[in-house]
Amino acid sequence: MKVLKVPARTIAVFVLPCLLLYVCLVFIPILVSLYTGLLKWDGLTSAQFVGFGNFKDMFFNDPVFWPSVRRTLLYAVASMLEIPLCLGMAILLNRYVRRGNTLVSIYFTPVILSVVIIGQLWKTVYNPASMGGMLNGVLISLGLDSWTHNWLTEPKIAMFALYFVSLWQFFGYHLLIQYTGVQNIPDELYEAAKIDGADGFKADRYITLPLIVPIFKISIVLAFIGSLQAFDLVMVMTAGGPAHATDVISTHMYNSSFMSLKYGYGSAIASFLVIVCLVFTGFINTIFNRIERKFN
Amino acid sequence: MVNRKMKTTFTVALTAAMALSVAACGNSNDNSKNNAASSAAPDKTNSGTATNTTKSDKKVTITFQNIYPDPTTPSYKMVHELSEQYEKEHPNVKIELDTLNTDQQKVKLKTQAASKEVPDITIVNPAAQMKPFVDAGLFAPLNDMLDQNGLKDTYQTGLLDYYSFDGNVYALPDGNNIEVVFYNKDLFAQAGIANTPTTFEEMLKDVKILKDKGITPLAIGEKDSWTGSFLFMNILLRTNGGPGFLQDVMDGKKTFEDPAFVEAVDAFQQLVQAGAFPDGATSIDANAGGNIFKSGKAAMWVIGSWETGAVDASSVAGKVGAFQFPTVNGKGDPNEFMLAPGSAFAVSANSEHLQETKDFLNFFASNLPKKQFELKNAVGLGQKVDGDLKAAGYSDLAITIAGLFNQVKGGDLSFDNTMNPATSQVHLSSIQNLFVQKMDSAAVAKEHQTAFEANK
Repeated sequence: MKVLKVPARTIAVFVLPCLLLYVCLVFIPILVSLYTGLLKWDGLTSAQFVGFGNFKDMFFNDPVFWPSVRRTLLYAVASMLEIPLCLGMAILLNRYVRRGNTLVSIYFTPVILSVVIIGQLWKTVYNPASMGGMLNGVLISLGLDSWTHNWLTEPKIAMFALYFVSLWQFFGYHLLIQYTGVQNIPDELYEAAKIDGADGFKADRYITLPLIVPIFKISIVLAFIGSLQAFDLVMVMTAGGPAHATDVISTHMYNSSFMSLKYGYGSAIASFLVIVCLVFTGFINTIFNRIERKFN
Repeated sequence: MVNRKMKTTFTVALTAAMALSVAACGNSNDNSKNNAASSAAPDKTNSGTATNTTKSDKKVTITFQNIYPDPTTPSYKMVHELSEQYEKEHPNVKIELDTLNTDQQKVKLKTQAASKEVPDITIVNPAAQMKPFVDAGLFAPLNDMLDQNGLKDTYQTGLLDYYSFDGNVYALPDGNNIEVVFYNKDLFAQAGIANTPTTFEEMLKDVKILKDKGITPLAIGEKDSWTGSFLFMNILLRTNGGPGFLQDVMDGKKTFEDPAFVEAVDAFQQLVQAGAFPDGATSIDANAGGNIFKSGKAAMWVIGSWETGAVDASSVAGKVGAFQFPTVNGKGDPNEFMLAPGSAFAVSANSEHLQETKDFLNFFASNLPKKQFELKNAVGLGQKVDGDLKAAGYSDLAITIAGLFNQVKGGDLSFDNTMNPATSQVHLSSIQNLFVQKMDSAAVAKEHQTAFEANK
């Protein structure tokens, strides 16, 4: 605040519009859904207050809930594990490729495609060979017939098929973030390090990694929250089927609210999702603050 | 010093500007509400004496939410042509079409209903699916409008019952269909099958013959899980020896663990195990599933007669016949069908121009049968229409299906039209599961019963 040399009042005025929007569009709806989570309500007729009944049902009686939480968290872990890969790739690109920007832009294309298109595209890739599925077709032509699967309809495999598409789609996104981060590290540091005899991976270890931590954190948080809210891709490709085998928290919430007409119950799931997001984001922040402090 | 003063002035000015703009927003809102209120008032006074012929010059916009997005279909043309005609005859009325596909419309309407903002005319499904909306008081009764010019008598006897609650009719159906088995005559001949199956055992045998010839026996798009359920319910209609199973469950006379239900699950699993359905059926959506049949890649398709027009417009036109779903284990009557009273037009109880909306719907519903007939879409109409199909150039398939209609001796509504939404969802996903893994039929029955009791 002191850096800006502007009275707090002025800052308040400038922050106000955004704050108002935020409160109206984000904060109040969250509070409302926390409240509706306590109701037995079909969204149409009058509601009945049931306290924590929905939460009790959710935690103890709903056979779909915990598996969908497990799938969501697994998804989050997978997409966070992708970030180090992106970072490694970004470092390599920055060092060995003269016009890395072009490559990064190409990697970025899936991100700007609509999820519906991505979903349809990968659905045709995953289709059974009899329906012209590319993946199975390639496997068969390689003589690997036994490896062919109904990728999207075998309950044990379907979820992993979805993870893969999503990781593929967002690889370019995180690569871009990391690449920009790596590029922003001043060259002088590397030059000085070179004089001191630190080159290549040694320089990465002592210069790139410590300086990239804040950017790395952003990617991790984005990946984590993004995957907790994963919805569109699942909806387009499998709609949570077959028989809930690919349901994640958000699709389960959607199905409960809109298909089963249990608004209250859906809101309870939404509340759970919000709380998980908050807790884990706080958790990730703490960890990274510690790491940053260690490096500084 | 000057600087600070300027800043203060600036702050004040900015705050003032913002406050004003907020106030302006509030104002304009108020205005529009006032307008609405004042425009609604004369409406009501009008409706007391109302007849069709009273024409006011007041500009009215009627929002018409509908589910006919595909410009190549007769239904799309029907809605557009009738709306345009009405606008021409009533220059003060504008019909605004809010066109969505079926699933989107269902979700949009539920969202709108939750905030009590139902469009003037919207689409609902019969019986159990529309009941929550009626209970919430969102729809206007249409009795007066049905009686005012004999519109009511154009509907088939008993059809409006599916849309009536406590003696009031709340929606007017766009049709009335039955579930039939479409089959591709060329593919049957290619597999050397002479006659269409009349028993489930024959059907299974045909499935195996077709499968051996490399032909997909039954087309389906089970990503939209109602498709599998619709087929399953036909089996249940047979194993139960007649209609009314779900009603009996609701009345407490039977449970889902009844032998008839378990037998139906068994039979359905036999069909799956015999490889009747396309690979990866649960990832195929309903449209794509239909296209497997319509592109000549599958031999049979168990679906509602509403597809007749689309089949006739596809590449297999002229090669397709239809027959009744066979008996199962010698049980059931082939002339009992899964009944599918159509999607229906309902009027919002909170409509700002209720009378105009009802007048338009009256015109629309009265002219719908004639229009559909002209557009070669008269099979599965819920209203009586004059005219001979053959003379009007309808296909053999359409005439066959019209013949099946004449044999209908009763039947059941689909699961989600009978049971509440929560139980229906469990059922739909339970049936979907049968496509991907073999289950103990008794366990499937138990799952149904548990869900039914939990959501009573």
